[in-house]
Amino acid sequence: MLSVTPDVLIDLPWGQLLVNGLALGSLYALTAFGIVLIYKTTQVITFAQGETAMFSTFVAFTLLTAFQLPFAVAFALTLLFAGLFGALIERVVLRRISTTTVLNPVIVTVGLSLILLGGAGWIWGYEIRTFPDPVVGPPFRFGTIVLSQLNALIFVVTLVLMTILFAFFRFSPTGIAMRAVAENRMAAQLMGISIGRMNALGWGMGTAMGAVTGMLIAPINYLDPSMMGDVALKAFAAAVVGGLTSLPGAVVGGLLLGIVDSVAGFEAPELRNSIAFALIVIVLVVRPAGLLGRRETKKV
Amino acid sequence: MIGAALLEIKGLTISFGGLVAVDGLDLAVGTGEIVGLIGPNGAGKTTVFNCVSRFYEPDRGTIRFKDRDITGARSHEIIRFGIARTFQNVELCRSMTTLENLLLGQHVVMRGGVIRDGLRLRGAGADEARATTRADEMIELLGLTDHRDRVVSVLPFRLQKLVELGRALVSKPALLLLDEPTAGADHRESQALADLIRRMRDRFDLSVLVVEHDMSFVMGLCDRLYVLNFGRRIAAGTPAQVRSDPVVIQAYLGEPEREVVDA
Amino acid sequence: MRWLRTRRRVLAPYVLGAAVLLLIPPLLGGIPGVAPGYVLYLVSLALIYAIVAIGLGILIGHTGQISLGHAGFFAIGAYTSALLTLRLGLPFVLALVVAASLSAAIGFLLGLPALRLSGPYLAVATLGFGLAIPQLVVWQGSWTGGSSGLHGLPPASLPLGALTIVFRTDQDYYYLAAAVLILLTIFARNVVTSHTGRAFIAIRDSETAARAMGVDLVRYKTTAFALSALYAGIAGGLYAHVLHGISPEDFTVLLSVDFLTMIVLGGLGSVGGALSGALLLTFLQNALTRLPVVHDFKNLYIVVLGAILILTIAFLPRGLAGVARSVRLRWAARPRDGASRVDQIVELGEGSGV
Repeated sequence: MLSVTPDVLIDLPWGQLLVNGLALGSLYALTAFGIVLIYKTTQVITFAQGETAMFSTFVAFTLLTAFQLPFAVAFALTLLFAGLFGALIERVVLRRISTTTVLNPVIVTVGLSLILLGGAGWIWGYEIRTFPDPVVGPPFRFGTIVLSQLNALIFVVTLVLMTILFAFFRFSPTGIAMRAVAENRMAAQLMGISIGRMNALGWGMGTAMGAVTGMLIAPINYLDPSMMGDVALKAFAAAVVGGLTSLPGAVVGGLLLGIVDSVAGFEAPELRNSIAFALIVIVLVVRPAGLLGRRETKKV
Repeated sequence: MIGAALLEIKGLTISFGGLVAVDGLDLAVGTGEIVGLIGPNGAGKTTVFNCVSRFYEPDRGTIRFKDRDITGARSHEIIRFGIARTFQNVELCRSMTTLENLLLGQHVVMRGGVIRDGLRLRGAGADEARATTRADEMIELLGLTDHRDRVVSVLPFRLQKLVELGRALVSKPALLLLDEPTAGADHRESQALADLIRRMRDRFDLSVLVVEHDMSFVMGLCDRLYVLNFGRRIAAGTPAQVRSDPVVIQAYLGEPEREVVDA
Repeated sequence: MRWLRTRRRVLAPYVLGAAVLLLIPPLLGGIPGVAPGYVLYLVSLALIYAIVAIGLGILIGHTGQISLGHAGFFAIGAYTSALLTLRLGLPFVLALVVAASLSAAIGFLLGLPALRLSGPYLAVATLGFGLAIPQLVVWQGSWTGGSSGLHGLPPASLPLGALTIVFRTDQDYYYLAAAVLILLTIFARNVVTSHTGRAFIAIRDSETAARAMGVDLVRYKTTAFALSALYAGIAGGLYAHVLHGISPEDFTVLLSVDFLTMIVLGGLGSVGGALSGALLLTFLQNALTRLPVVHDFKNLYIVVLGAILILTIAFLPRGLAGVARSVRLRWAARPRDGASRVDQIVELGEGSGV
């Protein structure tokens, strides 16, 4: 369970709830990035994003503790692992299934998340571990509002990653090719773009994004196989609310959910997921393609 | 025009993202008429169909059928009013057999309800038997007897088109909208299809609006033609009139290669 | 009963199935070293899950609308029936009817947003629904029993004229679950092979074609949701009484995934498939807990579940029902008067699964 309820929350000023909500929302947005990235390139909405992130985080943990590697090295190796892992998932699993029905990718990624969940439980067990903090030091204070260094890092990472990804999709040839594949498979193929390679790349990048998220969440949330369960649901909500193909949409959706969560978590802690669910449904009913997504019309 | 107007379209306009697909179209189909809607690719022909069958929302204009404004109707109500259609690229239920598709075609003439069906109440079986008889008659009429219990996705495209025609006909429509019925057929098959459509018109008191690329097919089949180009109506009249219209020749018939490329 | 009157060939599997279900208890009693009560209790659970699977199969397999939250409807049925019998002292049958109706009504409501949502969006929304229900139960702990649940439910009873049957033993509940399952299987089969079922399948195959043929998507999608929720609600009501008690932990997301796995394994678009998938998966789950070498049962089960989902979709897209079907077709086409009939059958393709 993710619970950003720092000890400073005694009087719970609204400003503090807002800052906590934004920090939480950044995590949702980060997780949502991976989902959006994979959807954008492969048209598959993955239900395994939380679990691949969790699995990668365990790999990082093993590198850090069993092999005593420095944080930067472990971080880089984990990203590499996650990238290859994602590409492997695409190659071995998703490429084999028929996509004539939208049900298949959903079912298969649900299956994948189960295997990773059970597998991680098997390998690393369910004892709760503490993941080392990537940053240490006193929190920043702005008047009565407190911002931990970790939360500040999360803000920065979210902003930087969003900018990089945005630029990647807008300006780099590979990014443009990935978008082309998502928008019109046939045309992309005619232009000589390898769809298989782009799909594998999409999964690799999306899974690596998940690894980053996992390593930022684990210090807050402890490390255990179910650490991403709640976050992944909120990330879904964020991605869907934002429109599934839009990175800024995922940020808006994530921050919105983070704030709602932070306030709801204070007012009615039991209902946080229910409120997130209600929010998804409301947004989808009002705007079926999300806040910033484009509506796809089927040609007949 | 034979008889009073059955379908009457006035000032139909629809655009997609700034591109005007159909621009102020007036079109009428009289009772018992076979009317063709022709024009180069992208002229907006299928878009007109999609507006009539309420898949698209026109920006302006009215569509009247049997003196009733159907511009605001929902897409599933259209067949109940008596307008059935086929699709350019075939929209069959691919996992169903020919027979099942033709039973689906009778959806609106059958009564139903989940409880009635689940408990097999009040003649649900008799209803089903009646529908099966009618579907079988149509299957025989279209020469699909050998393919009755085959799943339609394994049928060749030309036969799928025929199944779709049958599915539209079993709903007992007053107006049939045919979107490129000759796709996948050779010249002889096209002529046979034209005969079939004429026979169906006489037998079921149909009116037909047909979108088509195959000029000889349209010229031979239709009582009247409308020619569209870039969403605008550029000509209308009998096949003979249209054939000799210089505007049409320039826009469409003057580019015979284009027709080949489009088809 | 008129509604049982279908073609004899179609009826045969039900007669066979009913006979097997009837014979299980006496046969179990004859096996030494087996506690028939406990085995029957497990079988009852399997039958109850099968009810959910059949309803979910209509929604996912026939109508093509996904739900990852059917444990939510199962919970609604279970809690409604438990609360009504326990707190208000309502008779079991009445409570079950109310539970089923409430679940169906909520299914109808969840079907409304589903009208505007396609595949993945719907999966997310239903997943959220399934997560929210147990949370709401805990939140309203003062009357739902909160996280410790509701226990000590009165025994189920069934008034038949002057006579009232009271269900006390595991065997009694077994027969109750079996009877309900048989009736609901026939109902489901009737629905999917009818006018309504054809509209469901049309929506799955092509919404465009369905609309053009006059199928009202609003009506049929909400009907499919309500019907599958009705099944889950009835099953939930039975579940609460077979266990004599429930708690929110019985209705996790994993249970929703169990239900999904049952119908994927059995074969989407087949009532018989949903039934066999449910029975098979429940037995598998129990068999795994009994493996002497495995200590870490929960993880093993989760991995197996995931593997079943992926492998079935990759290699047996029509599940066990598809396998059974092709075996039957091959048998029918076995070379008696020449070898060409296999090709003929292959060419015939597979039916719509109704």
